[in-house]
Amino acid sequence: MTSIDLDLERRQAQTGVWGTVRGVLNRLGFSPLGTALLIIVAVLPMFPYFNQQHILRWLIAGALLAAQAAAFDFTAGYIDVVNFGFAAILGVGAYTSAILANEMPFLIVQPGISPWIGIWIGGLVAGLLGLGLGWLTLRLRGIFAAVMAWFVGIALLGLVQNLTPLTRGALGLAPPTLLEATSNLPYFYIILVMMLVVYVVLRQVTRSHIGLAFKAIGQNVSAAKASGINPTYYKVLNFALSCAFAGWLGGFYAHYYGSLTPSTIMPTSKTVEVLAIAYIGGRGSMWGGMVLAFPFVFFIEYLRSSLTQLPGLHLVIYGVLMVLVMIFYPDGLAGLWNSALERIRGSRG
Amino acid sequence: MKQKTSFADSLTETVSENIPATIVIVATVVLAVVLGVVGDPSQVIISIITGGMWALLAVGLALVFGVMNVPHFAHGESFMVGAYVAYFVFNPINTYLSENPNAFLSAVAPFVAILASGVAGAVLGVILERLLFYPLRLNSKAGEWVMNAFLLTVGISFIMTNGTTLLIGPNFRGIPGYWEAQPLQFLGTRVSLDRVISFFIALASIGVLWFFLRRTRTGRAIRAVSQDEVGAQMMGINLNFIYPLTFSLATAMAALAGGSLLFMFQAYPTVGKTPLYFAWFVVMMAGLGNVIGAIVGGFIVAVFQTATQQFVGISWANVVPTALMIVVLLLVPHGIFGAEVGE
Repeated sequence: MTSIDLDLERRQAQTGVWGTVRGVLNRLGFSPLGTALLIIVAVLPMFPYFNQQHILRWLIAGALLAAQAAAFDFTAGYIDVVNFGFAAILGVGAYTSAILANEMPFLIVQPGISPWIGIWIGGLVAGLLGLGLGWLTLRLRGIFAAVMAWFVGIALLGLVQNLTPLTRGALGLAPPTLLEATSNLPYFYIILVMMLVVYVVLRQVTRSHIGLAFKAIGQNVSAAKASGINPTYYKVLNFALSCAFAGWLGGFYAHYYGSLTPSTIMPTSKTVEVLAIAYIGGRGSMWGGMVLAFPFVFFIEYLRSSLTQLPGLHLVIYGVLMVLVMIFYPDGLAGLWNSALERIRGSRG
Repeated sequence: MKQKTSFADSLTETVSENIPATIVIVATVVLAVVLGVVGDPSQVIISIITGGMWALLAVGLALVFGVMNVPHFAHGESFMVGAYVAYFVFNPINTYLSENPNAFLSAVAPFVAILASGVAGAVLGVILERLLFYPLRLNSKAGEWVMNAFLLTVGISFIMTNGTTLLIGPNFRGIPGYWEAQPLQFLGTRVSLDRVISFFIALASIGVLWFFLRRTRTGRAIRAVSQDEVGAQMMGINLNFIYPLTFSLATAMAALAGGSLLFMFQAYPTVGKTPLYFAWFVVMMAGLGNVIGAIVGGFIVAVFQTATQQFVGISWANVVPTALMIVVLLLVPHGIFGAEVGE
């Protein structure tokens, strides 16, 4: 008796304005709680503590990390390949955009293209790189694909360092910023929108037949092939999309921070930072890493500024967390959340 | 009755069965000769010595993957630990020796330091395996083990590198040299005694490991586990003994490499990055679980690396090997020595 009533309640809740709103949000990939969190983050800068410039920088870093985690998880969580060259590909996007925006004579090219366009080209180049990398590694077993991506990442780093006429090598570039304004606030909303675009687009893909193909490949390659799914095609597609977004975000990085060197954005350790967030947040969830990114950045920055006599402590904590999650909570925070929800729902019904 | 084939026949047969491997080996020898003639004979010597080190590291990596199915990403950190231990053992002795010269102690001290690094590595290996991999094995679902173990090692690497920076500091700890002796003359070039001895340490370690794996009962047990875990258990082999042992062996070897190369690499938190890269490179080319391939591959990679440095430039040292690997994988998807890297 009770269950029939509950169903009725639920069905009634879907109608009406509120139901439609929920429906649309759900379609986009946002649970009610997710929407609430998003709105909170979006309006935070209006509050006294959060409207300070350095706090805004933290928020921007958080949003950037969240976007990266989503793009990374798209590959790691859905086709089970750890893209160890992620940071390097992001760097390629950043450098492409920065070089295209260059007007100074110290490089051999000075196209002077606006950063707003350059970012997209950076994403395109990175996407093509991802296409090639995906095609190259798709024939390898999961772990070897990760190692290959690692090698390619290192090679890209070396390449950027060596092609000095094009990139100024280790000296780095100082790309023009997106806006003339010196305030961080507009940048925050730009990156927030970018983060949302990344999440919504990738979420739509995972819910489409493409996402179904990913799951099929992940569970049983032979069965997938027998069903007419070409694993090659889907793996490459996944890689290309994830890398394209990485490059796009790299473009933002270049034109927000205004300074770019190979060793600050391209080394493997940067990929590990994104990887840690994505995994601790919950592989395969995409939103886990995003939700984790914001408090995480704040925590790290706070530790870094308050415990100056213990350099690198925040990174050690990072690593310890990752190890603990890997051993005891492999599904990450998202997994914990989901199982907690299930327990609550189970006790209710 | 078995026909006795001539040496020439069996050689031809082996070559024709392993064309890619043969090509690579021949190419390496040619490159080494070119290096010696066009470049500098000492480069060839250095390649051989570096090759021994990469072989030592790669063998450990191959062993850990083959036996425990763990893609070890923190192997470089074992190297780092070895380097630090050797430094902290050797440096005080060295300081003492500068005031109280003692020929015997000067000759023996480096060995003590290197031995200490090996022992430290062994202990570290057991601790890591029991503390981290054992619970992971208990908690991990069957299909996810490889990826989880891999990520665990990534975490371990992260902790160890940053933990060392935190506890000991990021400064380079180096020594000018282990043995103060005249460089040896060899084939018209001079090679420092340190390098020669470190090469022989590498050879000896690999030799001992080889003997251990082939001739002892425990070694056979390890090989059995790498072939068929369940079958090995049915034979009464205790996995809870084999796993820490294998991991400890691999870690000890890497630490030994780090300790004996202290004069070349010095000790600092991220010193393990390059050894890790090359160890993996060798293993990708030669094959996981393939110990011989790892040994041979170590030398091949070293020759190519030195050739790159000599002819193209040091800064390309990371780019060229990867480009090479990409070409190799496009042509020979199974890896050179049957690496089974493909799907």
